[in-house]
Amino acid sequence: MKEIIRTLTEAFGPSGYEDQVREVIADMIKDHVDEISTDVMGNLIAVKRGTAPEGKRIMFSAHADEIGIIVTHIDEKGFLRFSNVGGLAPETLIGNRVRFSNGTIGVIYKEKGDLKDLNLDKLYVDIGAESQEEAEAKVKVGEFGIIHREFTDLGNRLVAKSMDDRIGCAILVEAIKQLQDTPNTLYFVFSTQEEVGLRGARTSAYTINPDLGIALDVTLTGDVPEGPRMEVSLGKGAAIKVKDSSMITNPKVKAFLTKLAEDNNIPHQFEVLERGGTDAGAIHLTRDGILAGTISIPCRYVHTASEMVDIRDVEACVDLVKAVATSDLKDLM
Amino acid sequence: MDIKQLFQDIASNSGVSGYEDQIADQIQEACPWVDEFRRDTLGNLIMLKKGKAQSDQKVPRVMLAAHMDEIGLIITKVEKEGFLRFSTIGGFDQRVLLGQEVTVHGKETYRGVIGAKPPHVQSPDEQRQAVKLEDLFIDIGFDSAEEVEGKVAVGDLATINQTSWNLQGSFMAGKAFDDRAGVAAMLECLKALDDLNFSAEVYAVATVQEEVGLRGAITSTYGIVPDVGIAIDVGFGDQPGLQEFQTIKLGGGPAIGLGPHVHPTLHKRMVEVAKEWKIPYSLDPSPYPGGTDAYAIQVTQAGIPTILLSIPLRYMHTPIETLDYNDVKLTGRLMAFFIAGLDNEFVEGLKCF
Repeated sequence: MKEIIRTLTEAFGPSGYEDQVREVIADMIKDHVDEISTDVMGNLIAVKRGTAPEGKRIMFSAHADEIGIIVTHIDEKGFLRFSNVGGLAPETLIGNRVRFSNGTIGVIYKEKGDLKDLNLDKLYVDIGAESQEEAEAKVKVGEFGIIHREFTDLGNRLVAKSMDDRIGCAILVEAIKQLQDTPNTLYFVFSTQEEVGLRGARTSAYTINPDLGIALDVTLTGDVPEGPRMEVSLGKGAAIKVKDSSMITNPKVKAFLTKLAEDNNIPHQFEVLERGGTDAGAIHLTRDGILAGTISIPCRYVHTASEMVDIRDVEACVDLVKAVATSDLKDLM
Repeated sequence: MDIKQLFQDIASNSGVSGYEDQIADQIQEACPWVDEFRRDTLGNLIMLKKGKAQSDQKVPRVMLAAHMDEIGLIITKVEKEGFLRFSTIGGFDQRVLLGQEVTVHGKETYRGVIGAKPPHVQSPDEQRQAVKLEDLFIDIGFDSAEEVEGKVAVGDLATINQTSWNLQGSFMAGKAFDDRAGVAAMLECLKALDDLNFSAEVYAVATVQEEVGLRGAITSTYGIVPDVGIAIDVGFGDQPGLQEFQTIKLGGGPAIGLGPHVHPTLHKRMVEVAKEWKIPYSLDPSPYPGGTDAYAIQVTQAGIPTILLSIPLRYMHTPIETLDYNDVKLTGRLMAFFIAGLDNEFVEGLKCF
C-alpha cells in the first residue's frame, strides 16, 4: 500500500488540473470495478455493481486535487508572482520548491521585511530564468503549480506533500482492490476542486444521488507541541467526524459508523474540527438532502509540503470503508 | 392548544443544530391544525395544511420557514484533570458563557458549570478582555480523564440550562427564541387559517441547521419547490447601545423585509394586507438577506419568490433573549391573511419580476 501512496502523492494535480491523478488511479483500479467514467467537472467515477436486489447505493468520495499556486505575473527579470489555489500559509512556502506541469522547478522566497507582515504578495518564484522571455518560454501567466516534494517512509509514519487528500484516494484504491462482491452498489468518486469549494463532489453527488455518501479526507491533530486543543491523534485509528464547518454529521450516521467500527474491532476516535470542510459537506446538501458522513485520516502539518499520517490509521480507514461497503443500510434509512 | 405555552416549552428544551429531533417531536405532538407531518433526510419538520380547494384544482403552494435549531456547545477535548474543552455550534456571544450552568449530553446527562479564573488573580489585561473561547472549560465534577472515560466523549453536546419566563406584560425572556419565536408565529398562522377561507397548500417547515449555514432550508425548499416562500426569523430589537435605525421596536409587530432578497411584489402585497387588517408593522430594509433562510429559499432550483418577516428580539444569541409575545401573534395573523388572499393569478404574476 505504501507504493500506492508514494505514486499518488508524487503525482501532479492542483485543483482543476487533476488529469494525471485521474490517469494513475484509473490504471490502478480498472481491473477491479465494473465501470469507469469521467464527468464534466473531471470527477473520476468508478462503479462496482451490487449483488443484492435490495442493496443500496453508496458513494465514497476522496478528492484528487491538491493545493497549489497560479502564476499571476512575470516581471522583466523573470521572477514570477502568484496567487493561491486553496489555502496556503505564506510562512510555510519560504524556501520551498514548486513544480509546473511541464516539470519546471522554481524556488519560493520573500522580499525583505518583517515576518509578521508576510503575505503572498511579498513572495515570488525564481525558476532560474535571467529574463522575462526566458521565463515565459517555460511558464505562462495563468499556469498552475504544486509544491514539489518527494514521499518519505518513516516506518509507521509517512510524510509527503498532498497527503490531503491522496491518502483518501489511496484508501479507496486499496479498498477497491480488497473488496469482493458486495450487496450494495458502490460509487467511488475521485473528486475534483475540493480545495476551492467542494465543487466536484457537489456535481457528482447530484448525478449519483446515493442513499449514503461517505467522504474520506484528512483532519488535523492535537498531538503536537502546543498544537490545537483537540483530541485527535496519530495512531489512534480512523476518525469519525462529528462536526466541521461544512457539516454536522447526522447522529444516525455517527452511530452507524461507530457501531461498524466497534463490531469489526477497527480502532477509531471521534473528531470535532473547528475549521475546514470535506466533500460530505457538499454531498449532504444535494437535492433534498442526502445522508452523509466523513471518515477522517489524522494528519499533522496539513497544507504544508510535509503532511504526515500513520499507516495504522490508514489501514483502519480501509477496514472501515470495507465495512460500510458490505453493511446493511436498512437501519439507517 | 395554547401556542404561547408550547413556545415556552420548546424554548426551554434543547435542540442544537443537527440535533433537533426532540423539538420536532414536541411540535408534532402539540399541533392539531396540520393535515400531514413529514420529516426529510436532514430532519426538517414539514407540516402540510391543505386549503379548501377541490383536489384536482391547481392551487398556490406556499412555504413558511422558521428554524427550530439553536446554537450550542460541543466537546472537543477531555483534559487529564477531567475538565472538558469545547467549541460552539453556531455563533455564541462567548462573553456570556462564563459562569453559566450547563448540561452535558453524554452517556447520561451531567450538570456542569463553565468555570472562570477568580478576579483576584486576573492580570489587569485579563480584566479588560473577554476570555477566549479556547480557554473556557466545563467542570462536571470529575477528577480525571479516566473518570470521564465512557461517560462523556469528544463530539458530545452541551447546552446552557435556561427555562423561559414571563416579564412584565406580554414580554418574555429565555434562550432559543431565535428562532422558535418564528416557529410559534408559524403555528399561530396555521391556527388562524382554521377560521379563514383559503385555497393554498401551506407547507410550514420547522427547519434545521439554520445557525450553521441555512442547511435545512436548502434541502427542504428543493423538495417542496413552492410558488411563494416566507421566511420568519428574528431581527434586532430596540435596546440601549443600538441606534433606532438599527433596530425594530418590540411590540410594534413584525418587520416586513425589503431588499434584493425580497420579491418586490410580495413586499407590496404584504404591506397591503397589513394595512387592510390593521396589523401594526415596520419596514426592515436591508441590502443583505442577513443570514436567514430567506436567502437559501430564494436561490433554490429555478428561483423562488421570497419574503422575510422579522420578529423583534433583544439580546440575540445570549441565554436571555427577550421579546414581546404580541409580535409573534401579529406575525402569525399577518401571514394567515396574506395566505388567504393568494390565488393562482397572483402567483403566476410573480414569475415576471
